[in-house]
Amino acid sequence: MSENLGWVGTSPPRRDLKDKVTGEAEYSADISFDDMLHAKVLRSPHPHAIILSVDTTEADKLQGVRAVVTPFDISNGRIAPDVSILDKKVRFVGDEVAVVAADDPYTAELAVKLIKVSYDVLPFYRTTDEALSEGAEPIHAGGNLINNGPLVEQRGNLDEGFAEADLVLEESFTTPAHSPAPLEPRTALAKWDGSRLTLWKSSRGIHADKASLSQALGLPSKSLRVIGPHMGAGYGGKDETRTAVLASILSIRTQMPVRLELSREEEFVAGRRRHSTMTTLRMGLKSNGEITAIHAKTVMDTGAYLSSGPGVARRAGQGALYLYRCPNVRYEASLVYTNTPTAGSYRALGAPQGHFALESVADLAAKSLGLDPLHFRKKNQVTIEGQPGERTTPVNEIVDTQPSEGGIPFSSNGLSECLTLGAEKIGWDQPVNGIGESFSKSIKRGRGMSMFLYRGGPGGKSHAAVALTEDASYSLFTGVMDVGEGSATVLSQIASQVLSIPYDEIELVMGDTDITPEASITAGSSVTFSSGLAVKDAAEVLRNKILNQASQLLAEPQGVLNLHGSKVISESGKSLSLSDLVEHSGAISAKASVVPGSSDYVINSFGAHFVEVEVDVETGRVNISRYVAAHDAGTIINPKMAENQVRGGVSQMLGFTFSEDMEIDPGTGIVVNSNFLDHKSPTILDFPDIDVVFADVTDPIGPFGAKSLGEPPCIGPAPTIANAIYDAVGVRITDLPITPNKLLSAIKSHKA
Amino acid sequence: MVTTEVSFSLNGTGHCVEADTRWTLLYLLREEFGLTGTKRGCDMGECGACTVLLDGLPVNACQVLVASISACKVTTIESLSDDGNLHPLQVAFLQNDGAQCGFCTPGFIMSAIPLMEEEAPVTRDQIADALGGNLCRCNAYGAILDSVQSALDRRTHV
Ligand code: FES
Ligand code: FES
Repeated sequence: MSENLGWVGTSPPRRDLKDKVTGEAEYSADISFDDMLHAKVLRSPHPHAIILSVDTTEADKLQGVRAVVTPFDISNGRIAPDVSILDKKVRFVGDEVAVVAADDPYTAELAVKLIKVSYDVLPFYRTTDEALSEGAEPIHAGGNLINNGPLVEQRGNLDEGFAEADLVLEESFTTPAHSPAPLEPRTALAKWDGSRLTLWKSSRGIHADKASLSQALGLPSKSLRVIGPHMGAGYGGKDETRTAVLASILSIRTQMPVRLELSREEEFVAGRRRHSTMTTLRMGLKSNGEITAIHAKTVMDTGAYLSSGPGVARRAGQGALYLYRCPNVRYEASLVYTNTPTAGSYRALGAPQGHFALESVADLAAKSLGLDPLHFRKKNQVTIEGQPGERTTPVNEIVDTQPSEGGIPFSSNGLSECLTLGAEKIGWDQPVNGIGESFSKSIKRGRGMSMFLYRGGPGGKSHAAVALTEDASYSLFTGVMDVGEGSATVLSQIASQVLSIPYDEIELVMGDTDITPEASITAGSSVTFSSGLAVKDAAEVLRNKILNQASQLLAEPQGVLNLHGSKVISESGKSLSLSDLVEHSGAISAKASVVPGSSDYVINSFGAHFVEVEVDVETGRVNISRYVAAHDAGTIINPKMAENQVRGGVSQMLGFTFSEDMEIDPGTGIVVNSNFLDHKSPTILDFPDIDVVFADVTDPIGPFGAKSLGEPPCIGPAPTIANAIYDAVGVRITDLPITPNKLLSAIKSHKA
Repeated sequence: MVTTEVSFSLNGTGHCVEADTRWTLLYLLREEFGLTGTKRGCDMGECGACTVLLDGLPVNACQVLVASISACKVTTIESLSDDGNLHPLQVAFLQNDGAQCGFCTPGFIMSAIPLMEEEAPVTRDQIADALGGNLCRCNAYGAILDSVQSALDRRTHV
């Protein structure tokens, strides 16, 4: 019965899927007004320069141009601590210099070309090494090394740990600055009506966007309304850029609605990319395979602006600090400004980079000690007891989901089950080469695996409101956004189960700051967990209120009453329809706010990935013949959507593993592959067979036992595949992406 | 601005427009006709989000100049369903969770239409070939393949 109702554990269709298949779903660029203007941005051709003057005379004269805004004619509010609305300094090729609004996009583009800018060109730094070199010009006032030193996290005593080791391994790894490249480019439409500004934008956090707009524009919060239409996905991005602020300023200036829609090239350079990293990881081991010490040091390129850099840097270390049971660990991360496009949040933040280094070294360790990589993991994996050591967080305080201290257990930990299930599914104990003797001689087969953990789940304070309306139907109000991952559906499933109605009979109110409660951004795989808890609480409060009313009307104790669809039913057989109930009591509403988290446990998600590859030693091409992704995300609310989210995450990261890399010309600082043909993302032709298995785990804290799932699938692919390639051909690729060229030359030099 | 008069049929209705010669078919559909189901993902012919049928064949609307479509038949996603009656491909996408963010979905569906007209059975590889020019950055490819496959299966069993 719950199957038809779409409750937790079943897979009803996404709530907005019908609109998506008919083309009716509205995205930001689909909204327009008759008198709407189109905006275009003039971007810097220099990677690092001071703007001396901007001459807009010719552009102003062009027929159809309504406004031109430059850094010399606005009061410069802050979008982020190191980003002003328009700056007189540019820091990468593509940085915003000026913006034009015109009657149509063609005129706006022409006007942009007529603006004359004079620059004082500065030396520029394409790499972190260059930016940190002696005497390098600071890109921002504070210098090129953020906080003038690395972030350091540690536990135990590293020297003692390495002193105990029989074997110490060390290897260095690099990962690329690939772009999430959401198919929908950033778009904002601003409409100023003389006293109030309404903004439609691709957003993963309308309330956060409203707060940052209010700060940047100096407008009181009540004069702002942000509406988030459907989002052509973000994978972590789309909040902090200048797009929305510039559209708003132009609308206020012209008193007309203004749409600023980025081009594909702009989305690549002025959007946000993943932080490229250089990581050195050292591991100390006893000859029985026990890990005694782990030391990871990473240098991350944050590009021209800081964005979410510190969060990414911290997250890149969690694998090294916490995935293996180990008393002595240390993680250091240096975050560096360069004159390249800004790095920011991209699905799983630093975890894929950190785990690539960690899980490659783990594989190396297993092979060096003659141990099976799976058994090596099983021997050393962190268990539900957590890490050795003393808890330092005060007893009643909520524990960070990403601690470095030991002495705190996990709320649940399905890592071991993931290892077992995944290994079974791929047939880990069967020989790899048993299959396909008929293969061409140039094909070598191999198998690899890796495991991971991820914070996620508890996000910021979360709110929800649920109401039984005057017409006896239900509405759910939440301020979070469905960024394409499916939270609209999952939250409906949670509420409907509590209220005992079909999941699509609850009206969902999302995406408008005027009518939804405050919410955090859709980030850190937190929505199902955090907003899910708030929705569940609010629905339970509402349910209680309804039953309480019903108990008075039916003259029955509340304890014998139950909600059942559109009725309250008593164990004695009496019933009351919700329409009759609201007729007497009017509409009923309930709210809940939760600060998600636990003072007793670390809440994390886990997983293990396995792959079988075929490496063609003559072309350097790698074919994925089988992929198995085993995840512990607690209770799975919607198995079909969850499975597709995992398959999508794995496939998305095949780009990071094999082909995607933002290439920047050393002479000019120009991104030379800011298009889909040259920044190669996986297509349907590259999509491998991916089996998804979920560990049978019920988290004691998450809603109905659920934990987080959105980002974790992105962590496994690179190390899993690199380990399989090593198994197949004996070469370990330590710098991603593993292009055919790179692999071929590694195979050649390995043979030589 | 130079304009030219162009007559064509759009979703079964004849139109004659005075078109700016710079306009692409994508621009015309979205900005002049308000048919926003056809998406703009790159404007460079690289992603397939703007796929429409031109005389029955899938094309990237961003790569077609309006001046060149005289006497052509243009079909967009908006014409597939009629009064809530979905096209079999749309039904299949709905039943197989064929979209995440959905931005690529109209383009994939339009690219898959010619497969539905194939007489011979269509293999999974042939489906992938037909859809190889459409990008899905959510990488919902598995569910997209399942969706198209199920629409095709049902078609052959009719
Ligand atoms: S928008 Fe036409 S192919 Fe991308
Ligand atoms: S579903 Fe998001 S791009 Fe395809």
